[in-house]
Amino acid sequence: MDIDDNKPIVSFENVGLRYGLGPEVLQDVTFSLAPGSFHFLVGESGAGKSSLLKLIYLALKPSRGLISLFGRDIATTPRRELPAMRRRVGVVFQEFRLLNHLSAFDNVALPLRVAGAKKSDIQKHVVELLSWVGLKDHLDARPPTLSGGQQQRVSIARAVIARPRVLLADEPTGNIDDRMGLRLMHLFEELNKLGTTVVIATHNSRLVERMGHPKMLLDEGWLEIVGGRAPGESQAPAHKKEFSETVLADTFSDVDDDAPGAPPDFEKLI
Amino acid sequence: MFTRRSDLPLDKDALSRFLPWLIAFMVFLAVLALAGMLVLNSTAERWDQGVSGTLTIQIIPAANPEDDNGRLQKVLAILNRTPEIDHYETLSDDKLLRLLEPWLGAQAGTHDLPLPRLIDVELKADSKLDGETLSRRLAAEVPGASVDDHRVWLSRLVRLIQTVQGLASMVLVFIAFATVGTVVFTTRTGLAIHRSAIEVLHLIGAQDSYVAGQFSSRALILGLKGGIIGLLLAGPTLFAIGHLARQIESSLLPTITLEPAHWAALGALPLVVALIAMMTARLTVLKTLSRML
Repeated sequence: MDIDDNKPIVSFENVGLRYGLGPEVLQDVTFSLAPGSFHFLVGESGAGKSSLLKLIYLALKPSRGLISLFGRDIATTPRRELPAMRRRVGVVFQEFRLLNHLSAFDNVALPLRVAGAKKSDIQKHVVELLSWVGLKDHLDARPPTLSGGQQQRVSIARAVIARPRVLLADEPTGNIDDRMGLRLMHLFEELNKLGTTVVIATHNSRLVERMGHPKMLLDEGWLEIVGGRAPGESQAPAHKKEFSETVLADTFSDVDDDAPGAPPDFEKLI
Repeated sequence: MFTRRSDLPLDKDALSRFLPWLIAFMVFLAVLALAGMLVLNSTAERWDQGVSGTLTIQIIPAANPEDDNGRLQKVLAILNRTPEIDHYETLSDDKLLRLLEPWLGAQAGTHDLPLPRLIDVELKADSKLDGETLSRRLAAEVPGASVDDHRVWLSRLVRLIQTVQGLASMVLVFIAFATVGTVVFTTRTGLAIHRSAIEVLHLIGAQDSYVAGQFSSRALILGLKGGIIGLLLAGPTLFAIGHLARQIESSLLPTITLEPAHWAALGALPLVVALIAMMTARLTVLKTLSRML
């Protein structure tokens, strides 16, 4: 898929969303995200953060308005072409949504498998990434036997294994302490520096203030962008660089189990 | 195929245990119905071949027995002139009496009973000659000569057999419907049970055909399992029915047998049912997924 660096990667125009015949949970939402941008999505519980993310990762259709992803209008894109677009969007779900009957390895391998990647590539990349997030010794472990933090790392690995253009995370720091939360943010920033557009929904305001990225503020269904650039204004993508050993060490150095492995070569990932 | 890795925990739900048995019963019934249909089919064919090429000519004895021979000669002369006739045979008095024995007793021949003359006529294979034409030709020259065409009563029997065959094929159609219904039901339940896992697959970009493939390959395996159980149950039943049929077989009923091709058709039934199950599962999943964005 060709992605024009100057075109917004996600754009909403007057988007409204209602469930069934209920009231609109999102009203006239208009914004666009430049490639390589980093936003926090903040707002009270029930303000519509998860709904907004669901619209971006194509789990829901808007009741009205226009949504474009990678420059394509979702409403006019044939249904059979949506899976390929979903594969370019990595999602860290609020409740992880790992498949409990599959091992950590198989969970992380899923996005590559559904994309039809080669078996040898899958083996190599998944082991590399799981080692990198400190789960080298838990490849065959099923999610229920892993701790919350470990499950979260499996979930993050699954979200980034196929090298998405957009990374969405719904309350990723919800059930971990601040220190771990901060590490996670550093990880997302590193991915962002490689060119990934990042949107993180959270109500951890301390974290948001500390990181200093623009905020998408949702209040009773209305959206306002604070502290960033005006909607539609493009931001030149950050220079792509490899993960630095320092950041990695900083991110997962004293994680409870395995030592972090070598950083995965994201350029080679599918 | 049997070791295919699945992303969905399909082998662990209760349906996997109960679907093969349902399919086993369907296949059991289908094998019996199909076997019945095939036996009737070959029976009807054999009756047709065995009897339809023959006629019987009867010459009723005249008041004056001396005339009988002359009339017989006249009839034979007509038969000789008819090109459609392959050959004929005049039944001797001995044979005639043996045919009458069950009705008149062994002493029938000792009385001066006026017996009709019977001539067995075999028509040529491609003959279009029907009994009525021959009957008119004979009646014009020889009073008291008539033709007994076996095809009249035979056609009634064949019609009866065809009705039973129709019923058997209806049973087969019903079984096919029931199989489809069962698989649709189990697949839908499976979709409901595994909905959240399916959603995850869907959201990480799995094509519908990828998800459908997981369900359909499971349906194929379960269908084959059930089909083979059903076939194993139906086999001994068929042999038992065949054994009973041979015991009551009379000269009227042609032998009831299945040809190798028929056995092959019966053996292929589990595969056909498994393929129906596979296609049904696939279409059901695709239809359900198409409601997701």
